[in-house]
Amino acid sequence: MIKIFLYECKRLLLNKFFFGILFVLLFYGRQVLSGTTVLGVSHTAPFSAWSFGDYLSRMLPLLWIGTLFFLTFFTSAKARRASVLTDAVRTCPRRYAMARCAAAFSGTLLLSLVCLAEAAVFYGSYFGWYEWGQLIIPVLVTLLPALIFALGSGWLLGRIRPWLIYVWMIVPFLCMALPLPSVLGIWNGSFFTEYPLTVGSLDPAFSIPAPVIAAQCVLLICGVLLLMFTGKKIHN
Amino acid sequence: MNTLKSFALELGRLLQSRLTWLVLLLTVISPAAGLTLYKPAFAETMLSMYLANPALAGGAVSGILFGLLTIYELDRSSRSRADVLINAIVSPMRSGMVRMLALNAAAIIGLFLTMLIWLPITYAQAGTVLDMTNYCLAYMIFMGLALPCSILAAAACYQFTNRADLSVVLFAAFAGLSLTVWSDNWQLCWLNPCVWALSDDFTNFRIFRSAAYMRLMWLAALSGVWVLSWCCIRRYGKGILGSLLRSTRRIYRPVIALLLIACSGAAYAAQPIIDNSNPDETASAFLELPYLEGVVCTGRTAKVYPDTAKGTVTGTASYRFLNSSGQTQTVSFGINPGYTVSSVQVNGEDMPFSIGDYQEFNEALLEAEIPADENVELIVEYGGFPQESRNMSETQGSAEISDEYICLQNAELAPRIMNVMPDEGMYPAEIEITLPKGMTVIPFCASEASIVSEYENGTVTWRYEDNGAGGILYAGDYICEEIDAGGITIEFYYGRKHRSVMESAGAIDAVRAVVDYCTEHYGPLSFGMGDKLKLIQSRVTGGGYAGDGASLLDEADFTAANLGDPGKGAGSGEVMIHELVHQWWGLANMFDSSNETDPWSAEGLTVYTTYRIVKELYGEEYAKQYYIDQWQQETDDYYLNFYVRNPEYLEKLPEEKRLEVLGSLTHVRRYCEMPLKILKAEQLVGGEEAMDMILHELFNRELDPYYPYLTYQNFLDACELREEDLNLD
Repeated sequence: MIKIFLYECKRLLLNKFFFGILFVLLFYGRQVLSGTTVLGVSHTAPFSAWSFGDYLSRMLPLLWIGTLFFLTFFTSAKARRASVLTDAVRTCPRRYAMARCAAAFSGTLLLSLVCLAEAAVFYGSYFGWYEWGQLIIPVLVTLLPALIFALGSGWLLGRIRPWLIYVWMIVPFLCMALPLPSVLGIWNGSFFTEYPLTVGSLDPAFSIPAPVIAAQCVLLICGVLLLMFTGKKIHN
Repeated sequence: MNTLKSFALELGRLLQSRLTWLVLLLTVISPAAGLTLYKPAFAETMLSMYLANPALAGGAVSGILFGLLTIYELDRSSRSRADVLINAIVSPMRSGMVRMLALNAAAIIGLFLTMLIWLPITYAQAGTVLDMTNYCLAYMIFMGLALPCSILAAAACYQFTNRADLSVVLFAAFAGLSLTVWSDNWQLCWLNPCVWALSDDFTNFRIFRSAAYMRLMWLAALSGVWVLSWCCIRRYGKGILGSLLRSTRRIYRPVIALLLIACSGAAYAAQPIIDNSNPDETASAFLELPYLEGVVCTGRTAKVYPDTAKGTVTGTASYRFLNSSGQTQTVSFGINPGYTVSSVQVNGEDMPFSIGDYQEFNEALLEAEIPADENVELIVEYGGFPQESRNMSETQGSAEISDEYICLQNAELAPRIMNVMPDEGMYPAEIEITLPKGMTVIPFCASEASIVSEYENGTVTWRYEDNGAGGILYAGDYICEEIDAGGITIEFYYGRKHRSVMESAGAIDAVRAVVDYCTEHYGPLSFGMGDKLKLIQSRVTGGGYAGDGASLLDEADFTAANLGDPGKGAGSGEVMIHELVHQWWGLANMFDSSNETDPWSAEGLTVYTTYRIVKELYGEEYAKQYYIDQWQQETDDYYLNFYVRNPEYLEKLPEEKRLEVLGSLTHVRRYCEMPLKILKAEQLVGGEEAMDMILHELFNRELDPYYPYLTYQNFLDACELREEDLNLD
């Protein structure tokens, strides 16, 4: 199975789509960091966990799209034609699907790491700030649930109807445009700009209220549960 | 099959697709987003709210939709694996061209339908201020030009990458940048032009020109990129480079592409709309120019000829100098950076001159040498398209020149003398301006303009006298009402279209109330040229200013929307109040303005007095909510700002960002922190009455001719307070 995983990774990562989106992410990230993040959010430093969370939430739509596009490698018409052959192989479909999802997740992880590395370089070069450990929690809270959910839901939708993946790409943009309740504030980034102001202290340490954690956990669990369906064939 | 026939077939096919009609339907609906979700034009004029915002939202939404449709359509044959067959019949390059043209034709249909359907809706919302010129220009420039830009960008993405997925990502990022990070950069926001306001009462050609310039620049760039990508369309089984080499055998293709990109680059670099003023708004290099020894200016004249069709100005300015130094001297003038100088003559002879590259506060430095003669007459011939300040590039439109409205300020009117002292404290000036008949000329000073000649071509020359190195002039389709208040006569000029709104808003009563209040509390105004004060309504500018004998009223002060909104009704006209109050606090030599970062300025007392008037007119609760609470909020934000608390990090920022942060902080200190301190002083001295008496004394104090300014220390002394007494918690 490791061989399949590596092969799928090679398919996803050694092609012009991956390098193209990498370039787009780097360019967009640079623009966000130097145009918006540099001012800081909610009276906090540009390198605070809050400002960094705001940066991540601005990058999330592109990462979401990237994740879903990775899935189109497995759900496209071409891939479906090839599935006649791959399905004939004596491999557990669930494990095969898991290997593919793991490859897609690896691609997403790589893209996310590039965004994080870019921010780290920016903080170092602008402010001489290197305490990156403080930024792990915002990464876990912002990116992990959303991208796992993107993977799970995208996989499911792609297997129902491949074009649904493309429709699903609009979701983060809708979240940014719609006035979401505060408990879903991480989905459109408003949490990072509004919540620190309600804490009542200057430069508050990064903290997340329980309902927001619960919402993110639900998102994460939903993503994981949806991934559990990966082995089941829904549509021919 | 020729291209035209292919185009007709492709367009027919496109219009049979349900997806195309869905996109067209969404395009027609898309301006609704500008009424609810996306409102980039934040001014409260009717056309900003009900024309600019829907058109801008329509452009952004339909641009994205057509971009995605383009990728979908270009990928169609590859997706259905019909590309091998189709390419055998029609050249893929011709297919690419035809598809692009058909998509653009569909976009034009979408735009036409949108304009048709939204015309009655916009008229119902905006009312009689809507005219077809504004409507058509707004939809065609703000919305219409977004569509070909999107189609070209999306098609280029696809033709370069030959992949739908990567094209969608590239296009999404390109659109995303315009909508977010680039949204404040008027040249880069290709999808959502930087439009903040449209005037109801006057024309909007300046902002239309700016948006059209940006759009055409991008259209040229994207056309160039598209032609390049067109050459990359995969042919004969070759890859991107092979196809490119094959396609560029016809040399005109890459030449056209490169020419378009080069033109666009040149248009970006040499744009004529915005100047290169120093972003540091505390810079004062021009103010610090030393005055010439032994040279005084005894008078000046200017003959100005605005071209209302082109939005340009030409003029001849003449300056008379008395040079008692016995040597040649270099005279410096401030000139609008958009103007060119065709000649400088001194005593009838051409003299060399130079215009510096450095620009500050919308002025460039023009230098010319004058000879050692005692009496010197220097004549400057100048003209061009006036540029607006870079620091105001997000709120363009102030340099409007049309046959309905003109505003020429200082160096836009004529070169402004910068390093020559006046003779006996006076720069007597005679200004003549030739304009279409029907426009009323209003000098922004105490003097009056009168018609001196009329011409057969329908123009009229106005003349007025002024005193100063610069000068501001308004002209337009104005009506004037005279108001007697506070012992003076106020000439209230406002746009003819605004009459019904002014009457409904009770604007005249509001003006009278303000003047009566200030006269009663601080004392009467006195002017050098009669007891007259001009109150002039400008087109929407986002603020105002005051001069000796004149104050500005923003068009957005009194709008039909404000009248119809009970939440804002009481507050309409507050910029007018502020600018009228400046007649008491802030004119002539009242405040030392040499330190641009000093929180003590004319604004503190003016904002405080505005609050007091609003409190009296509209009640304590309203004044607290819209003044004290907002000052407090802004001041709290200021003290909490990361860079205020940690200035060492401010130094680490790039200069442009540092200046942006510093500028916004100074604004808060002057407009919010200082009024709060004055309010605290009011409480410490025993209340409003006691403060009114103190301010009355300060306004009527005996002036020290060597330092006539009202300083913060004067204020503290009058209140018998120390600086630390007014520290805010």
